[in-house]
Amino acid sequence: MSDPSFLTGALRNAVEGNTTPAADVRVALAQLSDPGLARKLGRLLANLQPADGGLPPVTLSVLATCTVGPFEPLLRTSLVAVGALPTISVADYGTFEFSLASGAFAADGEPDVLACLMEESFFLPSDWTGGDIDGVTDHLQARFAEFRSLVDSVTRRSSATLVLHTLPLPVEVRETFLSWRARAALAAAWSRLNADLLGLAAEHRQVLVVDLVSELADQPFGARDARLHRYADLPYTDGALHVLARQVARVVQARMGLSRKVLALDLDNTLWGGVLGEVGATGVELGGLYPGGCYLNLQRSARRLREQGVILVLASKNDAAIVEDALSSHPEMLLRSEAFSVTAVNWSPKADNLRQAAETLSLSTGSFVFMDDSAFERGQVASELPEVALVAADGDPAHLVASLLAPGWFDVLDLTETDRERPALYRTRALRTEFEGGFGTSEDYLQALAIELKVEPVSPFGVARVAQLAARTNQFNLTGIRFDESRTAAMASDPGHLVASLSVSDRFGDEGVVGALWVECGRETWRVLNMVLSCRVLSRGIELAAIDWLATSASEAGASTLQGSFVPSAKNGAAAGFYKRAGFTPADSDGTFTLDLRDGWDPAPSWITQPNRERATR
Amino acid sequence: MTDAAAIEHTVVTILSDVLHESVEDLRNHPVLAAYDWDSLSSLEALAQLESQLGVTLDLRSYQAARRISDLVDLVQNAGASTVGQR
Repeated sequence: MSDPSFLTGALRNAVEGNTTPAADVRVALAQLSDPGLARKLGRLLANLQPADGGLPPVTLSVLATCTVGPFEPLLRTSLVAVGALPTISVADYGTFEFSLASGAFAADGEPDVLACLMEESFFLPSDWTGGDIDGVTDHLQARFAEFRSLVDSVTRRSSATLVLHTLPLPVEVRETFLSWRARAALAAAWSRLNADLLGLAAEHRQVLVVDLVSELADQPFGARDARLHRYADLPYTDGALHVLARQVARVVQARMGLSRKVLALDLDNTLWGGVLGEVGATGVELGGLYPGGCYLNLQRSARRLREQGVILVLASKNDAAIVEDALSSHPEMLLRSEAFSVTAVNWSPKADNLRQAAETLSLSTGSFVFMDDSAFERGQVASELPEVALVAADGDPAHLVASLLAPGWFDVLDLTETDRERPALYRTRALRTEFEGGFGTSEDYLQALAIELKVEPVSPFGVARVAQLAARTNQFNLTGIRFDESRTAAMASDPGHLVASLSVSDRFGDEGVVGALWVECGRETWRVLNMVLSCRVLSRGIELAAIDWLATSASEAGASTLQGSFVPSAKNGAAAGFYKRAGFTPADSDGTFTLDLRDGWDPAPSWITQPNRERATR
Repeated sequence: MTDAAAIEHTVVTILSDVLHESVEDLRNHPVLAAYDWDSLSSLEALAQLESQLGVTLDLRSYQAARRISDLVDLVQNAGASTVGQR
């Protein structure tokens, strides 16, 4: 799949045909290990302009304290791999500090992401007396203080996400200190510098920091080629730049809501060693020494993913009864039945099971990662569901955890309470789907659900969750405008705007915040800039009740018109036709819809109650 | 294909890739300065040559190369010395 001619051919076709590279091509790109090829493909992808809108766009500015060189094409390859269509601008050589301080990086418009490429000389003195550790340490601290104020000024003037990284301390610097004690002091000062850089992520919500030092420690190649460094001011090898580019792409993936949400796991030789049907529950390898400990460690890692919002699905060809018995009786088992939001233990093809699981969860198979030791099963899923990311669980079980985690499929920028509760919510949701079978009409079913909707202006505590919904929601997303945290916070506190969150509960449980509205509140006209609604609660009329709330609020504030627009994307078909259903009148040409509030509007669906209705007071 | 011919083929293929020129054009006009042979493209070619042919080149000699045949000689010599050291 990742052979060079396949990837080059597939991407050339996409570029020449103005189409989106297929999902399996992007998955192969994400797993590419040859930086030379990644760089070459990045150059090819500079001309990618898919006419089908299949990749959401992202703009990046790259600022560097050195030559950017191959970082740009490597970044482009890595960004297309995570499902984004990048436009990358590179600041001129030698303008790093000036550009940060003056905001020149936004000369062609505010970028979504500002990626910094840095090397050690930015923080080190240009020269020092041999062994003068105190002088070097003081200089490092002073330089960091200057850098921090540059970062402060960027976060004040720009809403771009700033991506920084930690810096390795090269041998040329370390080994000029001859005393062991001074070298230890230098390493300590350098570690403090890196810790301070990492600390910027805690100080500023817009700042994210890649721990490049730890990433490089896991790689089999060198981070620096002294020839390239001295000749062209290229401080990092292509391999090291590829590592950093992939990390930056992972930040973008999380920021744009392109991360995966579901982990589908096989059992035999994946979650335990051996074949259950042959050796029985007492015979499988799980826990204790190698190799059983490796499988237990995988279960522990999967459980940690679940605790952070990843939905687990069991996909095993087995007899359900013996699996149930093994899951409940094996003393070392960490993932019991209730850990899985959907269980598909049967003899059907795995692609069918994954498709059905996706339907049950109301998620697309494009949000799935599938881990299986059998090349046959992975191949069957790859051929039927190329959008599913595959993790190979064959080979030495010692590698299981790294194989699952290293690609970063499930990254998010911040974890919210809803993330933590998501697996349980989806488990309830799967049970709810079964309940749905027994009703004559869907309205009977909706009445029986006893849905309660709470729409309210978002509080400072709710901003992160609302921004996350904006980033992650693709299906019911009216305009595709993804208001991030800083813009959402700004709008929430601006009297000319309204940001409202939608929380839903029903007889099965509390879904929490599942949707949001961003509204511009003019004197005459309130304009819906975007509305998003989690796919977990679609087809229940929640969106109509929310518009009823908004119309009431606007009308009470003295406005006469409510306006909105629908911008179609590859994924938001679920929201098409919404404004018409809500009683809005389409304009002839430009995709906007209008509701004249003086003529009244349709009430909220009768099956939704809105306790403690709180108006937006403007 | 002899070893020498195989090396020549690899070198020209890598240059074709990096410089966006056809193999044929490169063979007909083998003077590097005729192409977009700047510091970045030459270093990209260096990385490719070193990884694909398993050699390490001296950057000074590499920069001194004027024709494609100079690069082929350089790679061959580096390869010979690498084999000799084993």
